[in-house]
Parts: sequence; C-alpha cells; structure tokens
Amino acid sequence: MMEDKVKTLQKEFLNVFEKLEVVLGWEPGYDSLHATPSFIREAEDLNKLVWNPLCSQNLCTYLVKTLNVRVRENDKKIGICVKGCDSRSLVALIQEKFVPREALYIVGIPCEGTVDWRRLMRFEPSLKDVQKLHIQGPELAVETAQKTYRFPLQHVLEQRCLHCRYPNPIIYDGLAGEPVTPRVGDDQVYGDVEKIEQYSLPDRLKFWEKELDRCIRCYACRNACPLCICRDSCIAETRTPKWLAQRCDLKEKFFYHMIHAMHLAGRCTECGECERVCPVEIPVTLIKKKLNQIVKELLDYEAGIDPQKQPPLLTFDPSEKGI
Amino acid sequence: MVNSKEESTTKKDLLIVGFLCNWCSYGGADTAGVCRFHQPTDLRIIRIPCTGRMDPLFVIKALIYGADGVLVSGCHPKDCHYNEGNFYARRRLEVLKQFLPFMGIHADRFRYTWVSSSEGQLWQQVVTEFSETIHGLGSNPGVQGESDAKAMISFF
Amino acid sequence: MSEKIFIAQSELTAMLERLSKEMDVWVPVEMGDEKWGVRFLPYHRDNVVVLGRQSTLSPKNVVFPQVETLLRFRYQKDDHDPSKQSIDLKDLQDVSSALVFGARPCDVRGFLTFDQVFLKGRYKDPYYAQRREKTLFATVLCDTKDSACFCSSVGSGPGDREGSDLWMVPVDDGYVIEALNDKGRKLIPIMGKPATPEQIEKAQRVQEQVTAKPIGEYNLTQSAGDFTGRFEDMDYWRDRVSKCISCGICTFVCPTCYCFNITDESRDLEGERIRSWDSCMFYHYTLEASGHNPRPEKFERYRNRVGHKFSYFPDAYNGMISCCGCGRCIRSCPVSIDIRKIVHHLKEAVDADN
Repeated sequence: MMEDKVKTLQKEFLNVFEKLEVVLGWEPGYDSLHATPSFIREAEDLNKLVWNPLCSQNLCTYLVKTLNVRVRENDKKIGICVKGCDSRSLVALIQEKFVPREALYIVGIPCEGTVDWRRLMRFEPSLKDVQKLHIQGPELAVETAQKTYRFPLQHVLEQRCLHCRYPNPIIYDGLAGEPVTPRVGDDQVYGDVEKIEQYSLPDRLKFWEKELDRCIRCYACRNACPLCICRDSCIAETRTPKWLAQRCDLKEKFFYHMIHAMHLAGRCTECGECERVCPVEIPVTLIKKKLNQIVKELLDYEAGIDPQKQPPLLTFDPSEKGI
Repeated sequence: MVNSKEESTTKKDLLIVGFLCNWCSYGGADTAGVCRFHQPTDLRIIRIPCTGRMDPLFVIKALIYGADGVLVSGCHPKDCHYNEGNFYARRRLEVLKQFLPFMGIHADRFRYTWVSSSEGQLWQQVVTEFSETIHGLGSNPGVQGESDAKAMISFF
Repeated sequence: MSEKIFIAQSELTAMLERLSKEMDVWVPVEMGDEKWGVRFLPYHRDNVVVLGRQSTLSPKNVVFPQVETLLRFRYQKDDHDPSKQSIDLKDLQDVSSALVFGARPCDVRGFLTFDQVFLKGRYKDPYYAQRREKTLFATVLCDTKDSACFCSSVGSGPGDREGSDLWMVPVDDGYVIEALNDKGRKLIPIMGKPATPEQIEKAQRVQEQVTAKPIGEYNLTQSAGDFTGRFEDMDYWRDRVSKCISCGICTFVCPTCYCFNITDESRDLEGERIRSWDSCMFYHYTLEASGHNPRPEKFERYRNRVGHKFSYFPDAYNGMISCCGCGRCIRSCPVSIDIRKIVHHLKEAVDADN
C-alpha cells in the first residue's frame, strides 16, 4: 500500500539521519495534483515526505547542479529518493564520476508510473480537490470528496512510463516497497520511435519542424536533465564560439535540440524529464530514445545500468568492424 | 573522365562541405590536385586537425542551415596521426549517420570515409561519387518554419 | 446602433473570418493534437479556438515579440579605397494592426505594467509604442479559475476590464460583446448583431457574480516592505528556491516580464540588431564582461524576480505591482514553485510551513 511505502521511506532515512546532510524527496505541491521536490535538513521534517504517482521530478538533477556532491570530511551523505528511471541517471552520474557513490544514501522506490498532469486535465478538466490518487492495476484511481474517478493508465501516465522497462531501482541502499513487474516487454520499448519511422522522410521532417517550432528556448529541458552537466557553460548560450544566434527561428530551435540530443547520445537514461518539463509539450525524449536505440544496436550499450561500464561514445574499440 | 567533365560543367553547383583531417585526407586531396585528377567543384574544404575533432554538430548545423551535403574524411582506422582520434570519430559519425533520417534528413547527404595522403585517386573517386549522390538528391532547403519567412539573408 | 452585441459560439468562426480581413487576428489555439497547452496564433480557419481555459503562453508576444528586429545594416566597401566603407541602415518597420481575441483580464493587465516601462517613463520605446497602439484586446470575462490563479491577490480580478478594448461575457452558449472605447467601437459593426435586452441583463448578472468572488486567498499588494526586510535572509530564499532549476519558463510565460537582450547578428557584410526575450533566471542574464556575476546563485536570481515584481516595480511606478496573478509561473513550473506562498510568507517571522 502507498501509505506503507511512505512510512518505509521515512523510516529508511530516519534510521541513518545523523549520517545525512540533506534528504531529497518529494512533498505535496501547490495543489492536490502536484508534488514538489523537497530538501529536508531536520529529522522532524521527514514526515513531510510523500510518495504517490505525482512525484514525477527526477531528483538526481540536483546532485550536480545544486548540491555539487562530494565526499565530506565529516562523512555526511546526501539522502535521495529514486524511482527506477531516476536510479539509472544516478548510475550514469556515478559512471562519469560526477557523483561519488559513497557520498549518497539512496532509497529506491519501485514505481508503477507517474501521472502527467496535463494529460489528466485533458481527460477530466474539472478535476480538483483530490484526496487520494493511486494506481490500481490498469487504472489510475482518483478520489475526491464527491466521487472516485478511474482513468485508463495509457491516457494519464507520462509518456516515459508507458514504455518503461526499469520500474525498479538499479542501485539503492534501502528499498521502499516490493519490486514491480515492468509494464512492457523488451520488444515494445521503442514503439513510439517506430511510430515516427513509419512516416516518409519528408513527413518526418515536417513533423519535427512543426513540433520544434513551438520551442520558446526556455532551456527547461536542458536544465531539468540530470545528465546535462555543463551547468552555466552550455554552448547553446555562448557567443564565442557562436553556435546559435539569439534569433528564435526554427533553425535555431531545431539546432538547439540537436545539441541537447547529441550531447546525450549514449548517455541518456530516458528519465523523460526533458519532455515532462516542456511548457509547450514537445516530445523531445523521442529524439534521445532514437539515439539510444542506435547505440544499443550498434554498440550494444544501454545507459545507466552498469556503474562499471563507460558510455560508448566516450571510449573506443580498435577491433570494431563494420563502421 | 571526359563524360563526367561535361556533366559537371552543365550542372549547377551545389554546396558540399568537406571536413578533412590535416594529416591524411587533406593531403590526399592535395595529391589528387597535384596529379591533376579531375574533380567536381561542389566541395568546399574545411581542414580539421583530426577527425577526433569532428563534432557531429558541425554536420548537423551545416545540414540545418542548408548545405546540400557534408563529407568527412580522415586517416584510415589504426593509422591516425594521434593513434585514436578516428576510433572515436567512427563511432560518433556512424551514430549520426543512422540518426539523421529520424529527423527527416536524408542519410546520404552525409558521408564519412577514410583516405590517406597518398590516395589521390581514391580521393577523386570519393568526391566524384559523393557529388553525384548529392546531385541525385538535389538541393537541400534545410529546415524551415513559418517563423523563417523573414530569414536573415534577404534583408534589403 | 447598440453598443452591445451577441455572438453565438457557432458563429464565432464566421466572425473571426470577417475580422481577419480587417486586421491580424490572434486567437488562442491548442498546441497540437492531444495536447493540453494553448497558445496565441494568427487566426487560421483550420485552428480550433480554445476560450474555455487559460492559454499556457500569454499573448505578450503579439505586442512584444520574442524576437524583434530593431534595425538592419549593410556595410558597403568603397571599390576604389578598400579601407573605406559606408553603412546602410534600416530601422523601424511598419506593423499591421492586430486584435487579440480571447485574452483574459490577467493577460491584458500585463500590458499595463509594460506601458509604465516602455511608454510612461522618460524614454518612449518606439517599437513597443507602435505595436501597442495598433493592437486591440477582446477580453473574455474569466470564469474558469484553477488552483494556481490569484488575480485578486494582486489587485485585479476575473472581471477586471482595465486595458481591454472589447469585453466579452459568456452567456447562453455565446458571448455578449461590448466596446469599452472608440477603438473597440469601430469593430462592433463587423462583429455581429445587437444583443437582446435579456442577453444584456444576463451578461450583467454573470459579470456581477464573477466579480463578487475574488480569486486568490492572500493579499500580496503591500509586500514591498516585507521583501526589503527579508532581502538578506539567505536561509529563507535558499529553503524555498533550492528546487528551482534555473530555466526560463516562469519569465517566458509571464505576461508582465519584459526583460530583453539586444544582440547584433551578422553574416558577412550584413546583419541585424535584434531584441529578444531574456530571463533573469539565467546565469548569463547578469554575467558581466569581466567574468564577474553579481547573481551567480539561483536563489539570488529568484529573489530578484520576486523583488522586481513586488518591491522595486511598485517603488518606481506608484505602487503598481508587476504581477498580474495569472498563475502561469506556478502552473508551468517544472518543480511547482509557488510564488504566492513565497511572497505571502515574507512577512512572517517564523514560517509555520517550514
């Protein structure tokens, strides 16, 4: 049950709290359909932590960009809650030595999917004052004072969750809840990518021109990305060398997204944050998924699974044939 | 040779950007020139220190902004001046080549190849073949959106 | 001729079609198939107009485009003396008149703060002035608040007509439209037929009902002093803003954010000087040429955003708050930062929530 999970979660951190500097988790957001990241520094605040299908943010984003995690002299660690997808980002950060494993205390949460608030609104625009929200089999049950709504998951979950292969955390020190079964088999993982590939070449270009033309260059996709670690030195914003003009034409927008995608080729862990945060709902994760598919087939590598491995585009193999 | 000469003078030139490594392919292109091998004239060469310097974004930027084709050429694998530059490059470039069609850009507009500085003839062959491919595909408008109607070029 | 007309939902398309022959008509349309978001686009008969919910992006780009060309330049070399060159300049193009159809009171209020900055000060911005002068707003009375709305907290409200040229009240599966000034009155004959007295009376009642219910629980209009008092309380800001990811969403969707950057974009011998939206949430916004950055941390940048809207702006412009309470920055924020709470809690010595 969800309540038990939250209790376990809080207990996991409470047991080791004197060893922790801060705990990253989620707390209720501005209304009953939003959760918000929470930085907990006092043990008595741990009871603020929640876990439900609204806890969509990938907290690993903060490890490099906000906290700059290091092994401390006082041996204090950073506590962090991770879903399955988040844990892959964590593995990738450890692989690339941005975050030392020993500086983290990780509590993994087996996850059945998180809710896309906008898809939910599309389904039921009048939904408000939700008291409880949980996943029951193929449905999302949303309880309000008046009634209980039931929505089919494929209409209200985030896109990333519909194709998720790793609902269970890959690395953790403690686990809150029982492992769950992945929603899709390995053969369905790239279903959304293949849908685009059914279009003809000119139609694909038209599709991306239409989608990317909405971009407002707010850089949320980049900033929310746990693996975009250039922080304030992104080449999208430098004037020397000048990769991009300040113009907001399609060419600039298109190229900006290519920068983001190429810099994540073979590194992206498909947490889908880029797409979730996009204010104009561009399916940007698709681009990265396609690159992942290529890397998987060509170089037999999947990002964020094995902390000992190295992303294939950051290394080479002289014996390689066929390329 | 005579045929292809006539052909290339009657066709309108397209814009092909070539990124050549300083140590092999740039020398190879030079050899081809010194030997007076006839080559199509669509290619504009940019010299790079090594294909290891070749950022896939160079290719994408050129294609987005309307280059008709991009050719990257370096030392043969295991023959890199810096030992390993082209080992990195071939992974990146192959991933890029397979990726371009997903965004709606024809994979044939981009090619990477390995030509050493003694292979003037091979260079001639590569350039001729690639130019023909690009002429077959025709000119590339790049990506264009409604907001591009007032693009920079046509000001005055 | 009556000043008030009625237009049925079913006749909306035909009316927009008529209007679009007179001027550029901007309407709120969905971002795409199966998308929730709404943005303003020039009217096209294939687009479905969405008046039932607030647009994700405010219509500020109609008057203050994300990118605006200020001038274009071209160098010309002297054929006889290559060291000499002359320059051709072209600036300020004519813009066509426009109508923003289906804006909300909060959207329009955004332009009232813009006016203070771009028109009322010592310097008048000709680019803004030109577009502002030529743009009309047909505003719809807002009866669709959600949990992020707080327009009444900043001194506006769902029935606030200030700044609009035409006022639309939803009645009987249609709208009673009323002109609020001469600019709007000129469009009335093109728009539709006079409303019946019953419709006018109903509209009056709807207006009263909506106005009677303020939106937003706090009063944030007198926060300038509280902000100054909290300015140096680093813990306050760090606690609330640690989760910010420094993206530009809040500023780009905001109807009152007007910060911009000016750059020269040139190629060979010609180029243009453009003005583009900037965001105080970006590290580069305050980065100086020396490499020094007075606001290197995100909590300092967020503090500036709050300060600008609720303290510096009212100090400079007769108490006017540079926030319209539309709630877009809350709704679109990837990490759900709530500016209402941050401003409201400024005055509390010990924050009960924390």
